[in-house]
Amino acid sequence: MFLNSWSLALSLLSLVVLILIAIAVRTAIKVLCSWDPASDSNRQIRLENETWLSSTLVQYAMGFQIMSLILFVLAADYFSQVISGAMCATGSLAANQYGMPTLQLKLLGAFLSGFWIILHAFDISSERYPLLKAKYIALICLLPVLAADVVSQTLYLANLKPDIITSCCAVVFGEGGESTGNLLGAVPQGALLTIFYGLAALLAIAGYFLRKNPRSSLLWLNGLVWLLYLGVSLVAITTIFSSYIYAMPYHHCPFCILKPDYGSIGLLIYGTILPAAFFGISAALAEVIPVRLGIKEVVHRFQRMAVLISSALLVLFVLVVSYHFVLYRFMGGE
Amino acid sequence: MTASFVALEDVCKIYNQGQPNQVRALHNINLVIAANSMVCLQGASGSGKSTLLSIIGCVFPPTSGRATIAGKALSRMPDRFLTIHRRNTIGFIFQHFNILPDLTVLENITLPLMPLGIGPGARKERAERLMEMLSIGHRSNFPARQISGGELQRVAIARALINDPPIVLADEPTAHLDHTLSLAFMEIMRELQRAGKTIILTSHDPLITQHPAVERIIAIEDGEIHVP
Amino acid sequence: MMSFARQANIIDYSLSSLWRRRFKSLGVMVVFAGVIFLLASFQMTTKALTNAASDILAFAPEITIQKMKAGRQESIPLEYKEKLAVILGIRAITPRIWGYYFNETSGANYTVLGLDPFSMPLGDQLGEAIDTGALPLDHEAVLGQGVFAELAGGGDAVIFSLFRPDLSLKTFSRAGVFKAETNILTYDTLFMNLDDARDLFSLPADMATDLCVTVANPNEVQTIAKKIAALLPDTRVVTRQQIQKTYQGVFGWRSGFASICLLTALAAFIIFAWDKASGLTPEERKEISILKIIGWQTSDVLTLRFWEGVTVSTVSFVVGYTLAYVHVSFFEASLFRPVLLGWSVLHPALRLVPSVELGETLLILCLTVVPYLAATIIPAWRAAIIPADSALN
Ligand SMILES: Nc1ncnc2c1ncn2[C@@H]1O[C@H](COP(=O)(O)OP(=O)(O)OP(=O)(O)O)[C@@H](O)[C@H]1O
Ligand SMILES: [Mg+2]
Repeated sequence: MFLNSWSLALSLLSLVVLILIAIAVRTAIKVLCSWDPASDSNRQIRLENETWLSSTLVQYAMGFQIMSLILFVLAADYFSQVISGAMCATGSLAANQYGMPTLQLKLLGAFLSGFWIILHAFDISSERYPLLKAKYIALICLLPVLAADVVSQTLYLANLKPDIITSCCAVVFGEGGESTGNLLGAVPQGALLTIFYGLAALLAIAGYFLRKNPRSSLLWLNGLVWLLYLGVSLVAITTIFSSYIYAMPYHHCPFCILKPDYGSIGLLIYGTILPAAFFGISAALAEVIPVRLGIKEVVHRFQRMAVLISSALLVLFVLVVSYHFVLYRFMGGE
Repeated sequence: MTASFVALEDVCKIYNQGQPNQVRALHNINLVIAANSMVCLQGASGSGKSTLLSIIGCVFPPTSGRATIAGKALSRMPDRFLTIHRRNTIGFIFQHFNILPDLTVLENITLPLMPLGIGPGARKERAERLMEMLSIGHRSNFPARQISGGELQRVAIARALINDPPIVLADEPTAHLDHTLSLAFMEIMRELQRAGKTIILTSHDPLITQHPAVERIIAIEDGEIHVP
Repeated sequence: MMSFARQANIIDYSLSSLWRRRFKSLGVMVVFAGVIFLLASFQMTTKALTNAASDILAFAPEITIQKMKAGRQESIPLEYKEKLAVILGIRAITPRIWGYYFNETSGANYTVLGLDPFSMPLGDQLGEAIDTGALPLDHEAVLGQGVFAELAGGGDAVIFSLFRPDLSLKTFSRAGVFKAETNILTYDTLFMNLDDARDLFSLPADMATDLCVTVANPNEVQTIAKKIAALLPDTRVVTRQQIQKTYQGVFGWRSGFASICLLTALAAFIIFAWDKASGLTPEERKEISILKIIGWQTSDVLTLRFWEGVTVSTVSFVVGYTLAYVHVSFFEASLFRPVLLGWSVLHPALRLVPSVELGETLLILCLTVVPYLAATIIPAWRAAIIPADSALN
């Protein structure tokens, strides 16, 4: 189903991202082959100039990748009006086996390009460009992820077929009329809530100590917990919090909260948890940068800022996501 | 400040290295310029004055050799860091002034402060002090295209000084000025030197080379320092 | 934060620099706004049409049963109703006559809808779509706006006649006219009593064209439809949701096809924008080399260009999008009418209500601003790497 504005926009967007990164990778290969900081040749000057192009391209690509992620979810919602049996984005994403992988690849692409931009910022903070090789190897590794995104999305769109009612069939039925339920099986609510709030408290406390004293082991732990918490909170949003937002006990959907019908509160929810997790994880990942490169000062400054941002967003996230839940459970809002 | 504020050791500059159009512009330059001095680079056209001034001014690094400018060694440094060092230590005055004609005098003068993240209020304050000193305060909001050559020259000086750099460089500053304006320019330079700045000029104008304020003439010939 | 102040300064400079080159910038903005206008009007039109169709379809029966023979539809006997009595969950089964009447004098095809509105669940709501609010009694009919214009000449004629298949005349009096909001579905409709429709088409008394099934629990529609299909193998069972999706499918296809044409226009604009961004005048080159020698970084110039691109896009987007809204809601999308209203169920003379939604806006943004920004990256970079020492010569 390519011939509609949504599919066209999605394809255009991810192709643009892929092309931008491909051009950046061209520079990456050139730099890896013939970078020579001691040389004053025109080629070296050109390469130095091209490094600016490549980082600019990745920055634009990350912006576009985030747009592509949002557009993909909104498009899935639109497709649900066309696909028989689908009631909302969950249904259209489950319409074939490429839906959810595409969404995950898009998210991964956005995260990885974000990490790359941080790596780049570290690199250019020192006159010796100590991370130059690592940075461009990482850039080359980013390309397959984005290519997989394009392929997966194309397969998803190609296999998305609305059931057109034609007069040659005796009965026309939408397949998958049952797929509108949960994305996930039954999860014990009490345990999940305990883990959800427990981890949030843990992260908040860790954030407080890390800002004072960014110890390596604690940072790593913090990053790991953030990774875990990202998963837990996505499950919790889907199975618990969403139905309180919809005020319908059997409606568990992580996407409908994005709709204007529910005040687009989902934008705020995902707009806090995803960047929070991004910064929480990147503060830990920044630990891999060896001390001997002489940019520890810059890395520490970034880590402090990242921990601060992730803690602030965490608080906001927990408040927003709990609002309807608390209102219903404890204030008796029926 | 240390005595050798600018120190060049075996500095060479080759344009288009490795290309058929390769040009050897500077060859084995060894030069020390003391802080708070006023020197003039003199030489025929094409001798390499501007190239030498560019290396001192951190516009590009030398192809080989060591250049230490205001305490920082600049052998093969990425452009980004040269720029950072340049905007902190160097004020440039150009032969053609290089003033943007569509911007006002004030905007031109504060242009170097924009990427430093200095707010409009602070920018204006700094510029006004300089414009007062150079008596162009009344021209502050004029588009640069509407003011005279002498005023333009002073706008260029104000822009060079806006970040309070320790070194002021001027490439053929008087080539477009008449006698009176040239003398006035040299007076301003002398004032700056008294205020503690290091002044480096290039010129073959006798008015400059024979000016009493110029402490030292460095003669350049075919990319090498000529010792008479 | 320092970098925030830096951004603010560079935005400041980018605005003044755009203003200084306002004639050059204006050219790009006008063309860009035009492209956005076309794409946005188109998207709004399709969206408004789809919304209108599904609003009205909401009144359609949940399940429709039609008898099929040799792959073609034929009349369905009313006794089929009894066969379905075993299925739990069916609230009501209403026979319906849905046919086409060809008016030889005007060459127009009317849709004739025969229903017993009083035995139909929600039948009384049908009255809301009619100006008089009156449902047709015996020998009465409610006319769609188009039919009304032709049969009554738009005047106040109350009595009119139609031909039976044997060319004998059948006379009706007008009970009312469908409201203009429902034009999308009722423009060519004649709505009458079940018996009158049967009489008009000379159908036997125990026949209808289809049976409409109302279901007690909307969640059971699919299950009940499956059961009906199993019980009545010679019928076609269509759910409301499927009709709705077919509409959307056709609309989506048409709009997608037209989007491709519009994307061609977009591609032309992108080439134009690339060209404009690449063609630096000597003054612009000079300006950049001056900025660089007085301490601007390559990245500062890139940021400057980014903000210029964002400003051009924002202005063009706001202008183009607003014009599109005006075009669709006040001028009824007159540019796209011929393309979109090409199929039989839809007719002109309907008022479109475009909706401004986050998703739709983002969609247009992605289709226009993203390619524009992407196309200006490389020209911006080429400008940003102009060496500082070129200011010295
Ligand atoms: N960007 C460049 N690319 C190639 N060659 C250059 C470049 N700039 C200068 N040259 C060459 O380097 C040599 C020195 O030039 P430079 O501009 O330093 O001389 P100059 O003494 O300033 O001359 P003038 O008095 O004419 O300004 C000249 O032969 C010139 O042609
Ligand atoms: Mg020169």
